[in-house]
This record gives sequence, C-alpha cells and structure tokens, in this order.
Amino acid sequence: MIYFDNGATTFPKPLSVRKAINEAMSDYGANPGRSGHKMSVKSSEIMYSCRDNAAKLFGSENPENIIFTLNCTTALNTVIKGILKQGDHAVISSLEHNAVVRPLETLKKNKIEYSVAECVPYDDEQTIENFRKQFKSNTKLVICTHASNVFGIKLPIERIGALCRLNGILFCVDAAQSAGTADINLSDSCIDFLCTAGHKGLYGPMGTGLLIINSETTPDSLIQGGTGSDSANLNQPEILPDKYESGTPNLPGIAGLNAGIKFVLNKKTDRIYNSELGLARMLYKRLEKAENVILYTKMPEKSHSVPVISFNIKNTESETVAKILNDSYNIAVRAGLHCAPLAHKSFGTQDTGTVRAVVSTFTTKNDVVYFANAVSRISKNNKQKKTI
Amino acid sequence: MENNLIIFGSVTLAMKSRNLLLKNNIKSGLVRTPIHLNRKSCGYSLYVPGNFERALEIIRSNGIAVKGTAAVDTL
Repeated sequence: MIYFDNGATTFPKPLSVRKAINEAMSDYGANPGRSGHKMSVKSSEIMYSCRDNAAKLFGSENPENIIFTLNCTTALNTVIKGILKQGDHAVISSLEHNAVVRPLETLKKNKIEYSVAECVPYDDEQTIENFRKQFKSNTKLVICTHASNVFGIKLPIERIGALCRLNGILFCVDAAQSAGTADINLSDSCIDFLCTAGHKGLYGPMGTGLLIINSETTPDSLIQGGTGSDSANLNQPEILPDKYESGTPNLPGIAGLNAGIKFVLNKKTDRIYNSELGLARMLYKRLEKAENVILYTKMPEKSHSVPVISFNIKNTESETVAKILNDSYNIAVRAGLHCAPLAHKSFGTQDTGTVRAVVSTFTTKNDVVYFANAVSRISKNNKQKKTI
Repeated sequence: MENNLIIFGSVTLAMKSRNLLLKNNIKSGLVRTPIHLNRKSCGYSLYVPGNFERALEIIRSNGIAVKGTAAVDTL
C-alpha cells in the first residue's frame, strides 16, 4: 500500500527496529531488573540503553527520569491523574486529543475542573494571551499538545511553558505527533512533563510510549506492584523510574523503541523535519490546485507546522474518500474525527471530520504525486456524478 | 577487608553509575545485591575492585542515591 496513515502509527518501521524486536524475542528476552543471570542483565542493559538514548534525543540529564509507558495516553493519564487533586484546576488548549480531555472529564466527579484556552493558529501572541486568561488561583497544571494530530498546527510550547513557570503552574506537553519530527530540548525548556508515543515519529512498535519527568514534583503512580526493587517494602518505591514501572515491561517493544530512537538520532530530527515538511508542502500545493478540495490550514511552514495535512472533498464524506483511496488506489489514510473533537470544533469540521495525510521519513515524492492525483480524480469523478 | 560494593535502589541507577564510573576510567561490575546486605529486599549493586572511595565520591557528586556500601569477598 501507499501509506499516508503515519499520524496513527508510522509504517514501515526501520529494519533495525524489526531486527531488535526479533533479537529480544529470540536471543535474550528474560525478565529485566528481576534477576542476576546474563539474559536478565542483557534485558536490563537494553532498557537502560533506550532510556539513555531517549534522554539524549530530548535533552534530559537523567536517564532514570525516562519512564516507559504503554503509549502516550498512559503517560498523559499518569500526569493528569497523578498531579491533580480535589479542588485543582487545569488548562488545556483547544486542539487537545481525547487522551487529555477524557481523563479531565472523568476527574470532574472528583471536583477537579478544567478550562480550554483557544489556540489561534499562526498567532502565538493571542494563543499565549488566551492561556493566561484561563489561569485561576487554583490552576495547578497546563496540558498542551505540541502539534495538533488533525491539522498539524504547532503550539508555542516554549512560551506557554515560560508563562506557566512564571505563574508557578506545572506544564505538561503531549508530543505524540511531534516527537522525532520537531526538535524538543528539555534542558532549556520549562516543560515539566513530556509525554509521547513510541510508535509514531520515534519509529518503535505499538505498545510503547514515554513519560519524561523534568521536574522535582512527581505525579502519584497510577498503578502499583512489583518493580524488582526494594521487595520487602510493602509500599510503592518513590525512586524513578521504578515508581511508575510496576509489572513486567514490554521488553521486545522497548528494544524496538531503542532501535527507533537510534534511527532518529542518526538521521537527526532537523533533517527528518525538513524532508517531511518539504513533502507535506508538495502535497499541499497539489491539493490546493485540485478542484473541490478543501484545505483547513495555511501551507505548512517551519515555525507553525508539523507535516500533517487534513482535507475534505466537497460534498463527499471523509470516510467515503478514505474508502475510495483504499479500494481503488491502494492508499492508506485515516478519516473521521481523529479522537480530537475539540480541534474539529475549532476548525468547524466536527460534523464532517477530515481526511488526514501524514508523511514519514519513508514517504517518497512519487508517493505524494500518486496521492495527489488520486484525490484529484476522486474529486472530479464525484463532481461528475453530482452533475449527472 | 575494605569496602568494594556500592548498593543501589534500582538497576537503572546502578547502570547509570557504572557508565559514569567508566567515563572516569573506573571499572565496576553490575551484580545482584547479596540478600543479607539488602534487608531482605531485591536490588542491584556495583562491585568496584579499585578506587572505591573515588568511585563513591563521583556517584554521590552526580546526585545518584546510594543505599549503602559493603565489603564482600565472594559474589
């Protein structure tokens, strides 16, 4: 297939990732951090190597602050539910995913409130002002996506983080759609918690995610259990990463994630970003010229975009377009609401959804040309049908 | 017998310390902490056959929590 569903998960994965998973399954694969035999120690070494490489990629000084999670959603839930207590208030952007909104809705029964700050695309000043306006005396946490998973709009996280720091508010960034593509450096940022998926721009397998703690304040743990450490103690260890990593970890997944992060480190984030942005711009230009295609953003550009493009064809449901692309052109995209109803409301697409095309480092110019031609043909054919 | 074992609360901290020592040209080995040294808890230690005090100083000065030290003749 011609794969443009990289926003859901990147495909294909690099050969090194597949090899690393296979090695973990066939060569050593013992339970890490539990035993002293060579296989268990090898497993622990791979886990540590992944923490070390993730720390390098995101500018974290402490590999032990890299927490493995199931996905970005688990990381976000850990922060949201582990930080907010009864009577607290949180602020989120208007582009958030349900991974942020649903935990906060669930917490309403615990008398935890949240407000939504309207993101104004391409106007950082106004976006920041909108965040500031939502702050209350009991605001404890701001959760903000780095980039919209639907429209690719990047938020000014450095400045929002600085605003939070000035107001004594903790700042959590959802980097599911940006990690590995857009540069993130925790060493010179005001980000307290960085959450990301391992299976998107980091090219690891599904079932992997990261929570990176960059703060003295740590969330309560979501789950408790065996950590392989301090076993006589009936209480959950406070030491990182053990506090958040109860139960046997996804070693093959983490081995794959480690290889994925090394792949990104070798390619370098800025080169990946420039190349993907070039392809996204090429796609945008072609879609812009196609008849009856609706685009919702400006041309993707460096300061405000990640390579994610949402569009619709006039008078054709987004799911129908995705089905035709699949059935007739062998192209994979995602259509619908993309688990982000707030973002759709902001762009007026809550009733239609959108077709989303996301490139990866494996996407070629030929793929983009083929994709744009397919959309153009669908658009023309549908127009003809309507006319008949 | 002089101390040669540094006990940590987690395998992650033990590995971080081992790598840090290696950067400072001090060799060490990751081992399971003997149970009699660890209040019947599970854990990992670094066996440091030489430069022990210097190793301990490097680890502590980098903010890594050490649970204890011990002298062992067999592992």
